[in-house]
Amino acid sequence: MGEGSPEAVLRCEGLRKSYGGLVAVDGVGFHIAPGETYGLLGPNGAGKTTSISMIAGLLERDAGEVMVAGKPLTTRSTDAKRVVGLVPQDIAIYPDLTARENLSFFGRLYGMPKVELKQRVAEVLEIVGLADRAGDRAEEYSGGMKRRLNIGIGLLHRPRLLILDEPTVGVDPQSRNAILESVERLSVEGMAVLYTTHYMEEAERLCDRVAIIDSGKIVAEGTRRELVELVGQHDRVRLTATGDLKAAVDAACAIDGVKGADVIDGGIDFLADRAGDRLIEILTKVGASGVIVSSVRVEEPNLEAVFLHLTGKALRD
Amino acid sequence: MALLRSSLLIARKDITQRIRDRSVFIWGLIAPFGLALIFSFVFNPVSDSEFHAEYVVVNEDGGPVADGFEAALANVEAGGIATIRSVESAEEARRQVEVGSDAFADEQLARADAAFLIPPGFSEGVLAGRGGELTVVGARGSELGAYVARAVAEGFVAELHAVDVAVKTVFPPGVEPTAEQVGALIPAAMAVASPIAVEDISAGTKQLDGTTQMTAGMGVFFVFFTVAFGVSGLLEERQYGTMTRLLAAPIRRESIILGKAITSFVLGVGSLAVLVVASTILLGAEWGDPLGVAVLVVAVVVSAMGVLAIVASVARTQEQAGMFASIVSLVFGLLGGTFFPVDQVGGVLSKVSLIAPHAWFLRGLGDLAGGEVAAIWPSVGALLTFGVVTSAGAWVFLKKAVTP
Amino acid sequence: MGVPEKGCDAVKALVIGANSVRRLLRDRANIFFVFMLPMLLILVLGAAFGGGSDPRMGIVAEGSGRLGAELADSVRQTEGVDVRDYPDKDALVVAVERGQLEAGLIIPVGYDDTLRGGGSVALEFVARTDPTSQALRNTVDSAAVRQGTLLRAAAFAESQGVMEFSDALELAGRVAEASPEVLVTQEAVGEPFVFQRLGTFDMGAYSQLLLFIFLTSMTGSSALIQSRRLGVSRRMLATPTSVGTILAGESLGRLAVALVQGLFIIFGSAIVFGVDWGDPVAAAAIVIVFSMGAAATGMLMGAVFKNDQQAGGLGVVIGLGLAALGGCMLPLSIMKLFSPGLWRVAHVTPHAWGIEAFEEIIIRDGTVADIGLQLAILAGFAAVVFVLATWRLRVALTRS
Repeated sequence: MGEGSPEAVLRCEGLRKSYGGLVAVDGVGFHIAPGETYGLLGPNGAGKTTSISMIAGLLERDAGEVMVAGKPLTTRSTDAKRVVGLVPQDIAIYPDLTARENLSFFGRLYGMPKVELKQRVAEVLEIVGLADRAGDRAEEYSGGMKRRLNIGIGLLHRPRLLILDEPTVGVDPQSRNAILESVERLSVEGMAVLYTTHYMEEAERLCDRVAIIDSGKIVAEGTRRELVELVGQHDRVRLTATGDLKAAVDAACAIDGVKGADVIDGGIDFLADRAGDRLIEILTKVGASGVIVSSVRVEEPNLEAVFLHLTGKALRD
Repeated sequence: MALLRSSLLIARKDITQRIRDRSVFIWGLIAPFGLALIFSFVFNPVSDSEFHAEYVVVNEDGGPVADGFEAALANVEAGGIATIRSVESAEEARRQVEVGSDAFADEQLARADAAFLIPPGFSEGVLAGRGGELTVVGARGSELGAYVARAVAEGFVAELHAVDVAVKTVFPPGVEPTAEQVGALIPAAMAVASPIAVEDISAGTKQLDGTTQMTAGMGVFFVFFTVAFGVSGLLEERQYGTMTRLLAAPIRRESIILGKAITSFVLGVGSLAVLVVASTILLGAEWGDPLGVAVLVVAVVVSAMGVLAIVASVARTQEQAGMFASIVSLVFGLLGGTFFPVDQVGGVLSKVSLIAPHAWFLRGLGDLAGGEVAAIWPSVGALLTFGVVTSAGAWVFLKKAVTP
Repeated sequence: MGVPEKGCDAVKALVIGANSVRRLLRDRANIFFVFMLPMLLILVLGAAFGGGSDPRMGIVAEGSGRLGAELADSVRQTEGVDVRDYPDKDALVVAVERGQLEAGLIIPVGYDDTLRGGGSVALEFVARTDPTSQALRNTVDSAAVRQGTLLRAAAFAESQGVMEFSDALELAGRVAEASPEVLVTQEAVGEPFVFQRLGTFDMGAYSQLLLFIFLTSMTGSSALIQSRRLGVSRRMLATPTSVGTILAGESLGRLAVALVQGLFIIFGSAIVFGVDWGDPVAAAAIVIVFSMGAAATGMLMGAVFKNDQQAGGLGVVIGLGLAALGGCMLPLSIMKLFSPGLWRVAHVTPHAWGIEAFEEIIIRDGTVADIGLQLAILAGFAAVVFVLATWRLRVALTRS
């Protein structure tokens, strides 16, 4: 899918927003195709929520353009907003209304006809697993149930673009998994998903493509593999071993594809391309140098490392 | 009308929330009705009590002039404002008046608001042209009763003097008429009408009866709190985070504000309407012409919406808005005469009270009680002007409030 | 107020109390309610109604000449009527209709000339149908009769064919001077009403003091509800602290606020408006015991209700309703006069006992010894309500 491909559900370019002298978002632009899940990965305060607020038409932008399904979207465009679903970072539901009432109200605001709305509400209640509690007031729900309802409202009107802003913050592991599964299912159904997170694992698991955002700018974008290769990261093989570790390092470094090795406390770290393919060879060389290996771990490079490499800071501070 | 459609959706949702919360029933119905009930229970015995004085007369003279005075008193009694009793002695009369001045006196004791004492030899002295003295003993604490008693006595004395002067004027200077001559002329002299007549021109009563005044006062006082529930819904949306969703939805931003305005209007008008009907049926309140009342209710709710919208736009949180709204409503309510009739005090305070919509609402109802519906237009005009000006001010601020 | 069993509990209660005072005072709006509003009310009520309540009569005398001015003066000199001048009939009628005046008198233009020419004129008297307005008619009547004396005599002499009107009028003047009048002397017996013996702001001040202490304490319910909602109360309960201690602490907080408010009103009104509060020790005793009952009532509300908006609304109703019933708005002596039954009902409220205590020390210069009964009843009220509140709060915290 090339830059500016006609079938993109969302195209945004040159988004810019400053508050006073502080530039919160500076030239953010990307596009998302149908069925694609696009991750916006960055630490707190990087400009994720501000970007999303401009894309969803909550916030006036200083510059830039947003096109949703071929139509321009501004704070006042009711047409384009109809195909966008938003799941805000904080739970945004009426605690004194039931799940069904919350869903129906927003469905009607999106102009869904009554008959279709009723059917769709039932469907969404099934999807988010609240069908049996649909008549209870939201304030009586557990935190996880509120989160699920929060997401349900976003996808009620069958948006072509669903924007999820850190939907798993402060969620227990079980609910979190349920949320991630339902997002995966949505993209299978052809929905374009814009997902912001500062959890690297989530971005890795869900997103077809990831943009790394820092200080209001996208510093890198691509599939995980692309990003990893972009910054020239290698797999890591970590051995716990005893013996003459220095000798073992020297021996193993001769292997083709091994980019480096370090003696660490109680073991050795190797950096290698396609470490899995070379594992036997490495172990053989190390064993031959008289070192006894008690455990082996192979780590593929992750976005965390990419992020650290690109921005010089950790995702979670 | 997509704008109106989404506004109505938001208003309907808001009203569902408010009804579910039940607070609006307490502020909009139970509080004003309950207090009106208590206040009328407390104040009505006082304000409804017809003026009726108890007078005693001690006639130690028994002559014709004293009889004339008793006849004059009988006339007062016939007029219905007082009961006249004769007692034997001045001491007894004074004792009864003393009882009358003490609110905590035993209810079984005979009491009087004032006593008329006619001394022995009174008629003789008057007829002989020597004058005389009538004593009125008034009870402290029953000022009006004593006051009327004195006015009655003075009226009689003035009449006596007028007749005396008239009769004497007929005789040339230096001629001393005999008692018979004087006696013969008295009936004719009494029959001459005074050239100064006092005519009553009836003033309509442009004020409400006690119960209605209190119900209306409480109603308008609390409707500001009720309307605040609608207006501060804007801040509630932000607190719940749902403002984000409303902004993301395919609706115009104005419809969010309009939705809250509709909610406020419905809650305000609804609660006052229920109060008007309930107080009419249950408390016997007399609000006046239904159309006029409806116009005033709508106008005062509009003015409340404007003020409270400004409050909501200035406040940062819902709690803060609630506090500010309470302060504004209380100060306006006090000045506007919802608790006591400031308008009737006169002077600067009466003029200051007119900055409060409450004062105009009550004045409008008072004018309506005068019987003419058209008389309410100045009040309605003031209320609507107030509402429009404040709403316009609020509109500027509120647009800023509609952010995520 | 429940006395904590151990010193440690007392400290805890103090800590809880101090915390709740801090929370209250942090909000500037509360400062308005607690301090400024009562003073404002004392000022407004004093200015509006402290000047006594003589019936008011308006007079229009423009262009009525010397006789008109004399008539107006004779009405003005009537004791017990507050006479005000009005420029024209319309303004006067509206003022009467709105209740700004009890009655009005219009002396027509050319009054003097017409009467001196032997003609007759009509004064116009404007009143509503209520009794005070009608009673003022008597004043106007007697003034008119008095002024008509000479005119009547002249008319009578003319009708008897003795002399011309103008000559007779002159003669009548001389005759009247020579004829002694019957005097009406007035004496007053009995004691004036309680409130008539007080200064402009005095009566307002102690009624408002009690009204506001109670009303402010009722808002304490929402603080307790918020504590409960935020889970703070339950967290306190999780520490080794009993329900009684928590409630004593919260009540202490409210009590402290009520006392600060009471002191402020007493000192503020004494300094600014010169209000007399009687014996300071006795006044302090009333304020303390009354505040305890008020604080406990606020806590009971806070324990019973879950929603602070609802508790707030009912708090206003109860705060103002009890004040009205208890004689803070209508003096108890007047209440007794017009409705003895209501006066008995009033004594269900702590306000009535507080007011009686204040009247005892302010009017009759009483001391603590003279108000023992009232203090005991107020303390009993506080104790009963506190026990009720503790019970309800325990139920609310442990069973829901």
